[in-house]
Amino acid sequence: MLPYAIKEGISGFRRSSFSAVASTSAMTVALVLVGLIAIMMWQANEVSDWLKQRVGEVEIFLDDTSDDIANSLFLRAQASPGVIEAEYVSKEAAQEIFRNEFGDEATVFFEDAFLPASIKVRVEPAYINSDSLNLLVAEFSSWNRVDEVVFNRPLLVKVQGNLRLLSMIGGAVGLLVLLASIFLVANTIRLAIYARRLMIRTMKLVGATDSFVRQPFIVEGVIQGLIASLLALFIIWVIHVVVVAYVPQLGNPDFGSVLTFGLAMIGSGVLLGWVGSENAVRRFLRNVSLH
Amino acid sequence: MIELKNVSISYPLPDGSPRPVLEHVNVHIDRGELVYLVGPTGSGKSSLLRAMYMETLPQTGSVEIAGFHSDTMKLSDIPYLRRNLGVVFQDFQLLPDRNVFDNVAFAQYVTGNRGKLVTNKVLHVLSRVGLSHKRQRFPHELSGGEQQRVVIARAIVNDPWVMLADEPTGNLDPSVADEIQKLLIGLHRAGMTVLMATHDYRMVRNFPARTLAVLNRRIVEVDPKSLIS
Repeated sequence: MLPYAIKEGISGFRRSSFSAVASTSAMTVALVLVGLIAIMMWQANEVSDWLKQRVGEVEIFLDDTSDDIANSLFLRAQASPGVIEAEYVSKEAAQEIFRNEFGDEATVFFEDAFLPASIKVRVEPAYINSDSLNLLVAEFSSWNRVDEVVFNRPLLVKVQGNLRLLSMIGGAVGLLVLLASIFLVANTIRLAIYARRLMIRTMKLVGATDSFVRQPFIVEGVIQGLIASLLALFIIWVIHVVVVAYVPQLGNPDFGSVLTFGLAMIGSGVLLGWVGSENAVRRFLRNVSLH
Repeated sequence: MIELKNVSISYPLPDGSPRPVLEHVNVHIDRGELVYLVGPTGSGKSSLLRAMYMETLPQTGSVEIAGFHSDTMKLSDIPYLRRNLGVVFQDFQLLPDRNVFDNVAFAQYVTGNRGKLVTNKVLHVLSRVGLSHKRQRFPHELSGGEQQRVVIARAIVNDPWVMLADEPTGNLDPSVADEIQKLLIGLHRAGMTVLMATHDYRMVRNFPARTLAVLNRRIVEVDPKSLIS
């Protein structure tokens, strides 16, 4: 036999179907908004990392040197802390790139292979800031056979400034949405609890402890939160499918991310229902009059 | 059994100043007694009952009821006190979405009882109030008198020591009111302490018993036969 609180919590849906639907809908809306904000922030973070990696590329130009030495410098660069990947660009390859970029006009410069060999280094996102890159540049510059080490400092500073501004705006909007959602859910649940004040009064009148009164409402809140999170996941999935149809570059996230996101949404829904109903009943019990 | 010593109760007015309702009230009711509490509407009868089921805590003085003492008990003890009291109001306060059986069983679940014990107890009290044949009906399918019988069944299902009835017949026709009063007097005859607040002096004259009156914020004992409608 199911415990009384669970039985009462489940039957609460039937007894007060309108308020149950209202609470579940409010939680669904809140979770969809929060979920979409989370996805947008995650996507923005991915784009920001990608952008920073491109902007934060370090070029190590080598002196005229043998292939063996160039290769050992390449391996050393690749093994340096903070480096994700390194790419060796030989003199010939540099010339080929130049030719592709400038076309027929490039032949004017081809009496000698005047472009130096270089190592292109991409660093981890955490290293992409002026201070860390300056340290890397100083390290690479100290190596023998290295002529010059450069990165696009002005562009990096500008991109970082813009990304910081965008994250602040995104964070503020996200916070506002989150607060509005919590407010909406809290008020809807409070109204739903108020609609059942007679039941609470009667429970108190016949000697129910406050925790006994709260239990069925918490069970109901948890179930509503669970249903709301599943509905929200479905709605977000539909939105994702529609958006990807228009912006295929967004692609599909990997299974691990989907699983993490799904579990986080279900956890948030359950928590929202639990805390919302517990808080609403607790406040109501503090002020309830039996008659 | 019930002992109020020097109890004063006041409520705050909108301007924050206190409006005294009862002042330095002393009441003693023995176990198994039937007592009427009379007085005009707004005189403080309900406030006195509220102090007994600890909905209102007195500003001064102390209340002792069913072994619980307002001076020494904690707020968390109040539910356990109420399990030893049956409380009946003028408005029935039945749960409209539950049938008669469930409305009564509700009070049993609160105390932690489950299963057959609940079924047996509920059927027993429903037969005591003459409603076992209507246990599947919902409140809106019952008359006012029947609804009040369900409330009485709910109030006695936990075998309380004390019944506090606040204008239990206030919403009922005189003939139905008499039935409800007979039911409450039957409970008293079975050994329960019954305190009935009413402003219907006819009831007091019909079944005379010790009568307390709230007059000018004080409690005085009056002769039930002297009450004039």
